[in-house]
Order: sequence, then C-alpha cells, then structure tokens
Amino acid sequence: MDRLIYSSLTAMRGAMARQTATANNIANAQTPGFRADIAKAEALWLRGAPVESRAMARESVVAADMKAGTIVKTGRDLDIAFEGDALLAVQAENGDEAYTRRGDLQISPAGLLTTGDGTPVLGSGGPIILPPADSVAIDPEGRITIVPQGGDAAQPQEIARLKLASPVGSDVVKGLDGVFRVRGGGVLPDDPGAGLIARSLEGSNVNATTALVDMIEASRSWDTQLKLISDARDMDAATADLMRLPQ
Amino acid sequence: MSNGALHAARTGLDAQNTRMQVIANNLANVNTVGFKRDRAKFETLAYQAIVTPGSPSAGDSKYAIGLNLGTGVQVAGTARIDTQGSLTTTSNSLDVAIEGAGYFQVQTPDGQTAYTRAGDFSLSAEGTIVTSDGLPIIPQIQIPDGASAITIGADGTVSATITGQTEVTELGRIETARFLNAAGLQAIGNNLLLETQSSGAPQVGAAGTEGHGSLRSGALEASNVNVVEELVDMIETQRAYEVNSKMIQSTDEMMRNATQQL
Repeated sequence: MDRLIYSSLTAMRGAMARQTATANNIANAQTPGFRADIAKAEALWLRGAPVESRAMARESVVAADMKAGTIVKTGRDLDIAFEGDALLAVQAENGDEAYTRRGDLQISPAGLLTTGDGTPVLGSGGPIILPPADSVAIDPEGRITIVPQGGDAAQPQEIARLKLASPVGSDVVKGLDGVFRVRGGGVLPDDPGAGLIARSLEGSNVNATTALVDMIEASRSWDTQLKLISDARDMDAATADLMRLPQ
Repeated sequence: MSNGALHAARTGLDAQNTRMQVIANNLANVNTVGFKRDRAKFETLAYQAIVTPGSPSAGDSKYAIGLNLGTGVQVAGTARIDTQGSLTTTSNSLDVAIEGAGYFQVQTPDGQTAYTRAGDFSLSAEGTIVTSDGLPIIPQIQIPDGASAITIGADGTVSATITGQTEVTELGRIETARFLNAAGLQAIGNNLLLETQSSGAPQVGAAGTEGHGSLRSGALEASNVNVVEELVDMIETQRAYEVNSKMIQSTDEMMRNATQQL
C-alpha cells in the first residue's frame, strides 16, 4: 500500500502546483503583456524494481504561452504594442539583457525610460535616457523622437531606437522576475524588421475559459488521487481484518 | 497552512478590487472639468522556484526544466492618461480651456502652487480671477470695479473695457506651466495637482509659445473619460474578479476533500 499512496501523493503535489500556476495566470489576466505559464506533468519511471509498473508524476512549468494578447488602442504617447512575436529588450534587475512584451512605458524621475513595472528599456545603445522634451513619440519602427525643449515641433529629433528582438529559432524562458531570457544565457539579435503599434497596449494572453478548464481538471485530478489513497487505506484495513485471528 | 493557489487568487481579487475603484473614480468624474482618467497599473509578483532546472533529480540525472510558480499580481500604482479632453463652448468669458500641453497655476491656502487643467474661473468679491474653489490663479489678476467685456486671448492676455475709457485695457496675462513628465504630477483632489520629483520642475511661460498649449476663452475642457471604455473595463474587471473567486472556491474544495477523505 505504501507504494500506491506515494505515487498518488506525487500526483496530488503536481495537481496543486498546476492549480497554483493557473491561479497565477488568472490573477494576471489584466497585466499588460503577461504570458500565461503552461504547467505539465511528466512521468518519472522508477527503474530497477522487478516489475517497472511505478511512475511518479513530476509537475513542471514547461514554457510560457507566447500567443499574442488582445491589442487595445489607448491613445497614450508612451503605450506601445508589438507586432508579431517581437520582444522588447529590457535590463533585468541583475543587469542581464532580458525581454518582455509589456509596452506601457513611462519616464522615471531621472528621465530613464522604463516599462510600467519599472524595468529599464534597452535601446540599440543601452538604457535610454530622455532629455528634457516638449513631446515624445515612438514610431512603428521603434524609433523614439522628441521635440526638444523649446524646439520646433515640426522637426522632431531621433534620440534612440528601441531594441526589438525576434525569439524565432531561440529558446526563451521566463525567469523568476517575470521577464524572458535566452535559455543558457546569451542575447537575441536586434531585428530590424520588427514593428510596433504606437499608442496601443497589448493585454495579457491568459484565456479565462482555458484557465477555468485547467482549474477544474487539476481539482478533479486531485480528487481522483485522494480517492486512490482512501481506497488504499480501505484495502489495507480489509487485509488487516482478514489476518485477524478468530476469537 | 498556506496554499500558493489560494494566495495567488487572493492577490487577483485585491488587484481587481483596486481597479474597480479606479474605474468608479473615472466614471464619477466623467463631468469634472479638466479631469484626466487614471489607469491601474498591474504588475506580476515574483516567481518562486520550486524546482530549479539543472538541479540533481535522482542519481546522475538532472532536471531539464524547472517548476517556477508565480505568486500573483499587484496594482503598482495608477497612471494618469494625459490625452486632450474635448472642448465644450460655454460662451462664458471667464471659462478658459488649454489646447495642448500645460496647466494653470493656482495658489493653495497654505501658499503652495498647485496645477490644474480646470479653467472654469470666476471673480472673487475683491475682483481677482479665482478657480471654482475660490483659489487665486498665479500670476494674480485683478479686474477693477466696473470693468466690462472681459476677454482672454489665446496667449493668455486678459483685457477689459473700463468705464469711462474707450480703449481696451490689458489687465494681466495668464501663464501656464509645463512639465517634462506630467504623468508624475500628484493628484490631491479638487482638480489640483502638485509638483513632485518625478514630474520635474515647472516651466512657466506664455500660452501658445515653446510647447505651451494655447488658450481658448469661452470654452471648457471636458474630462477625457470615455464612458463606453470605462464600462467595458468594468465588465472585464468584474469577470476577472469572478474567475479569481472561482479559483479560491475550487482550491478550497480540494483542501476540504483532502481533510474529509483522509
């Protein structure tokens, strides 16, 4: 009986992990540019026993769903949405170049261009500092143009270009800080063909229906494993009953 | 007993609740002169590494992929969306709208300078131009007794005809202030905004010059709240709230089944 309940236990742990991943997806259904996590179980066969009939379940977050989210026009100058699968290069907390789909840009007190969660945005020449300007605009190729303070509004100046990268052919994974990195290190090359949509924002790509189905599936799987454990207990009790000496 | 799924769903409920407050405030101010709508900024909370990729699994083998579980979401703040509101003509000569960037400067009772887009001015008992709350604008402009036909030009010049005079007299000039990062201004209520470290120092100048928007007298800037957009956001928020509470319900059921069956 011990073997049965431990196999079930690994499956229950997995179901709870999947439930947590789904809960996080649902919680982030409104976070701009959020990419849903996909949790999957894999079988871990226990070798060496006479009959290899036992496989432990191991839950893992295999990847993030990179489907595009819905793009909404917001009219704000610093909101951008990325076309296709382009990713925006940002500087992660540890200084690494990382990537995000989050496009609600803002200007920090020091003039640094960051995403809505405060991560500095990278241009072709590193982090972007905006000089005092009358207006800031971002064009579909990612060029940032400003009208300098007191300058001629008809002659905007280009000050930097956002680094847009294409993840095609590379394996990008989401880190603990929620931004994407190339698996095993390295950076993605600048993609000159990548484009963006100005004054728009891409929402989260979490699909509420899929998430609810995932949730029901995880909770049913949990219940099934529970049933197995309680059945194992009943079987054990019945065995003990049989073995009891007649009085 | 702490459960990751329950807590992630709880952060979702909290965040949706905050967003609903922001939407409610936007909708409440749909007719407030010069109001700019806010947007709740959602931010992913940190992920937790349950299994790190590359860590040993059994014997010589290593985990190829990890198990990083997210811990939910938070509203990191609100962003003011500074788009131009539509102009409505009122024909009241003391109503002024700013077309383009800039804020009127106002003196608060404690002597501070506050900034506003609301140009529904009136005259105080002493004849100074004040906001609807009675706060004098900076620079202070005095309209003498018996002045008629007050006009405010696109550059902010206030002029009037004074009894006994045939010529129009210039009484002063309304100046506007611009900010490098107007989104960084802090809202303090009563249509007023305060300068912060994030907004940068104000650049005061005449309306219609150096990036300062021009003034339109006899008109008011309506709020930039779009009711339909807010209602759609409200439905979205409500549904997201529901899904999060379903999550809590489902996880609770799992835990209950476990405690009852085992």
